[in-house]
Amino acid sequence: MDIKKVLKEATKEIELSSNQLNLQNIKVAYLGKKGRITELLKSLKNLSLDEKKSVGAELNQLRSEVDNLIKSKFNEIKVEEINSMLKNESIDISFPPPNSISPKVHPISKTFDEVISIFGSMGYSVAEGPDIETDYFNFSALNIPENHPAREMQDTFYIEDKDKDGKPFVLRTHTSPVQIRTLLKEKPPVKIIAPGRTYRCDSDSTHSPMFHQVEGLFINKNANMGNLKGTLIEFCKQFFNVQDLKVRFRPSYFPFTEPSAEMDIAYEIANNKIKLGQGDLWLEILGCGMVNPIVLENCNVDTKNFQGFAFGMGLDRITMLKYGLTDIRSFFSGNLNWIANNGFSIGDF
Amino acid sequence: MKFSYSWLCEHLETDKNAIEIGDALTNIGLELESLSDYSLYSKFVVATIKDFKKHPNADRLNICKVDDGTDTYQVICGANNVKRGLKGIFAKDGMYIPGTQIHLKKGKIRGEISEGMLLSERELSLSDDHEGIIELSEDFKNGTSAIEALKLDDPIFEIGITPNRGDCLSIRGVARDLSAKGMGKLKPLKFEKIKKLEFESPISWSIKNDDNSCEYVVSRYFKDVYNTKSPEWLQKKLISIGLRPINALVDITNFITVDLGRPLHVFDADKVGKKLNMRLANSKEKILALDNKDYTLDGNSTVIADSNNALAIAGIIGGDYSRCTENTKNVFLEVAIFNPNSVAKTGRSLGINSDARYRFERGLDKNMVFEGLEYASYLINKICGGSVSKSIDAGKLDTNEHKIKYDFKYFNKVIGLDLEPQTQVKILNDLKFQINERIENVCDVLVPSWRNDVKNEIDIVEEIIRIYGYDNIKVSTPFSSEDEINNIENSIVNKKFKTISKLKKNLVSIGISEVITFSFHSNRAQEILIGDASLKISNAISDDQSFMRNSMIFNHLESAELNFKKGIKNIKLFEIGPIYNSSQSQENILSLLISSQDNTNSIYKSVNFNFYSLTEIVSKLISSLNFDIKKFNISRSTSNIYHPGQSAKVHMGKKLIARYGKVHPLIMEEFPKLKNTYAIELFFENLPIESLSKVNSINISDSQFQFSEKDFSFIFEKEQNLYEVQRYVTGIDKNLIKNVEFFDLYVSKDLGDSSKSVTFRVTIQSKEKTLEEKDLEHLHKNILEKVSNKFKAKIRT
Repeated sequence: MDIKKVLKEATKEIELSSNQLNLQNIKVAYLGKKGRITELLKSLKNLSLDEKKSVGAELNQLRSEVDNLIKSKFNEIKVEEINSMLKNESIDISFPPPNSISPKVHPISKTFDEVISIFGSMGYSVAEGPDIETDYFNFSALNIPENHPAREMQDTFYIEDKDKDGKPFVLRTHTSPVQIRTLLKEKPPVKIIAPGRTYRCDSDSTHSPMFHQVEGLFINKNANMGNLKGTLIEFCKQFFNVQDLKVRFRPSYFPFTEPSAEMDIAYEIANNKIKLGQGDLWLEILGCGMVNPIVLENCNVDTKNFQGFAFGMGLDRITMLKYGLTDIRSFFSGNLNWIANNGFSIGDF
Repeated sequence: MKFSYSWLCEHLETDKNAIEIGDALTNIGLELESLSDYSLYSKFVVATIKDFKKHPNADRLNICKVDDGTDTYQVICGANNVKRGLKGIFAKDGMYIPGTQIHLKKGKIRGEISEGMLLSERELSLSDDHEGIIELSEDFKNGTSAIEALKLDDPIFEIGITPNRGDCLSIRGVARDLSAKGMGKLKPLKFEKIKKLEFESPISWSIKNDDNSCEYVVSRYFKDVYNTKSPEWLQKKLISIGLRPINALVDITNFITVDLGRPLHVFDADKVGKKLNMRLANSKEKILALDNKDYTLDGNSTVIADSNNALAIAGIIGGDYSRCTENTKNVFLEVAIFNPNSVAKTGRSLGINSDARYRFERGLDKNMVFEGLEYASYLINKICGGSVSKSIDAGKLDTNEHKIKYDFKYFNKVIGLDLEPQTQVKILNDLKFQINERIENVCDVLVPSWRNDVKNEIDIVEEIIRIYGYDNIKVSTPFSSEDEINNIENSIVNKKFKTISKLKKNLVSIGISEVITFSFHSNRAQEILIGDASLKISNAISDDQSFMRNSMIFNHLESAELNFKKGIKNIKLFEIGPIYNSSQSQENILSLLISSQDNTNSIYKSVNFNFYSLTEIVSKLISSLNFDIKKFNISRSTSNIYHPGQSAKVHMGKKLIARYGKVHPLIMEEFPKLKNTYAIELFFENLPIESLSKVNSINISDSQFQFSEKDFSFIFEKEQNLYEVQRYVTGIDKNLIKNVEFFDLYVSKDLGDSSKSVTFRVTIQSKEKTLEEKDLEHLHKNILEKVSNKFKAKIRT
């Protein structure tokens, strides 16, 4: 029998085959229903039992050998085809991407978040009030009577519309009216902060007609000035991330607090940069004091039993100090390059 | 307020130096704003120009030979007062020049070596004078330090005085407060009373006190005075605090204003009538004041007048006509107490900020009236000679002393510091407060006449701690209680701020930058966006900031334009902040703007932004707030901000949740550079806050059984809202219909103008089993029938 011949021919044909279709045809020609090897197997039935055994074994051997050869050739061809496809699909990976502005959160937002979280850890919840205020809430209720020189400390924007007292509405010059609104609404103990927009007619590199402040108010039976100092020192340590922080409280005057204080943080200038915490120079950070009993009485708080403190600070100012920014006007310019340079990515927010 | 160390020492006997005094001032609430420090100036020395010649290469420059007592230097100098023998102030190579803020460097100027510099006053930061180099008297030896030669050994303090401390608007007042702090002893005032008051004043007073604006006035007449330049000691004092000497009479009043805090006025007695009075001004009454400006008064201002004219605006400024000049022969001195409120009102309405107004409106020490009168009389008589009349006065001086009930324990409660009553009493006594009728811890405190800001018990506490020292207050930090933590957790405002932070994060994560813009609108924006006219700012800084905004879109377009001009082509920005509908209605919204140029980059291809891209952002934002946009009512927006055909509004019940779309072409005409501009306004405060703050409240059903998809095409009426169709189809079998997604719109002439053909794909999946063919067929049939019935839609095949 020409088993060896068949194997030799099949091996050669498989070897020469170069694509899947051709190989499929070879498979049919040898192993298909009418294929050469199949025919040979069919012809076994004419042989004797002994021959059947020996020839049959040889034929089966042949069939599986050819089958294996085809299978491995199949794989070979497939790999070649994929390789050639990969080659065709190759593109230039060296095109630099187009420029795009990296989106950021405004630094003031980051400060808002941090202020809310630091004071939150000290038990302060957030309160709010409107930007367009009545003269009463912005001034009179805070013990700033009409014609008082203190009114001139804060150059006020007025709105043409008038309130029920016939006085023009004002753009709040500070967040302090939220103290009044909260105390009229809630019974002490009260422990709140109120961040928000504030307005004064002033415009230069450190003053903007619109800026941000946060107000703090803590009223209970015994909140005292030592607590006030502790609270604000703790806040500044956390916010400016300086554990060894030199501070100074000095007497000042706000009509709505008595005694009043301003808090300064020590700093020094090293390599043309401000370094906060130590040094011989002082930076004013905030104003604070014990809430003037006159203000509490204006809010119907029983001053025999309740006392407490309040503080207010410029959020733009502490943001500028923390990140070394110099021009407040750029905060509100809507300049996306500035935001990309000075804002915060989601991971840092 | 400005004063020199030596002037302070005329009132304060002290062994403290200027730096110690400066620290003490800040510690007692008189904040030191600056203390001139001339220690640097010891390196500058007196030197003589021995000789000079013209610079060969520069007309205006001279080559000087300068002798500083040890060496001779060549100095190139451009001053026009260069002369042989001139003694000036010399700075050598390497020295820091304070006025120009540079370090001198030896070098050539137009080819000639210069080894130093002769200084002007401006270069020494002493004044703005740059007319020439400083010329000193010939008596100074070369090599003498500039500190000695220029008498710079008298430090100048500048302090900030808070509005309550009118008592410290004088050098005496500051000295008094420092003495209470233990910084020295207050000296008695040193002047002699005039012994011979020889005649009755020919001018008399009356007060027409319609407004209680003048409580008391006292005067003297000075006959035959000789008004001349002030003596050097007086001129120097005024110059040291930045005041310009004028003539003796005027300088004396300025001096007493600063020294005692007692403003006074001198009239040229020959220019005023014999009967002076205090009265309210007539409406539209005019006066030319000392500042050479004409003021028109109203009926609320008090004036000093004779029978003809207003002569001065009471407590604020004198009149030009009756001012004292060097020709003045007879003088009428006025010392008065004016009501702080009326002075403040008049001063503000006329816009006059004078030293007198500043002091009157902060309240004067009423007991100073007579000291002021005597001191001024003494000085006028001493400097200008002549004779002095007896006093003439009007009104009644009310010096009722103020008494406050005080409990020593109150201090401890407010400050959190146990301070013994005797310590408190000592501080109060040092401040000249008297303690009366003390019974154990309670007493009456008598307030000194100059402290009219001290009115209540808490003010006493403040006085004590101010002197005791804020540094001595023990620090203790109250941390949060359980109640407070609960309050924070339940606080609606806290939840709102959390939501705002979440929105910000989401927006930045999809490539949109946060901006913060002013709460204002320009005139133009107001006109176009038709805000509430009563929100006009009466005293706006500029036309760009003249209204309160009722939308942020205009600000954002301006910002987009700015960024476009900087070369940024694809602008994506948002702001979360307030808009104002009226003076009593403000809401915080999210406003987002996307303005993109057509993408011409053939490598980085991206689909151009359109309305549907915007819809996707809105949907994502709303779902980040735990709501499903598909459950809201969506209709065309009627807002004039948006393109009417490419904008939508989202409602929950009656509440507006969002508006979005292409910005109206009429608005975009203001911003011709910007193309393809879209905006979203999300009124997140209208959503129920409880839902916003929940985490992940949307339920998406998940099933492991095989799903099937089937497409349906219907011809609807053109204005058919597809959100409605989607909601309806989903509702046909909530258990099986998992998703309904639109993917094709077809409009054509064959369909007619009033129809549209829409194709959507329905995803069907059961949670319990793999659906059989017959279940599916049943559902398909159901959808076809129900949709065509409900919406009168034709099935398209």
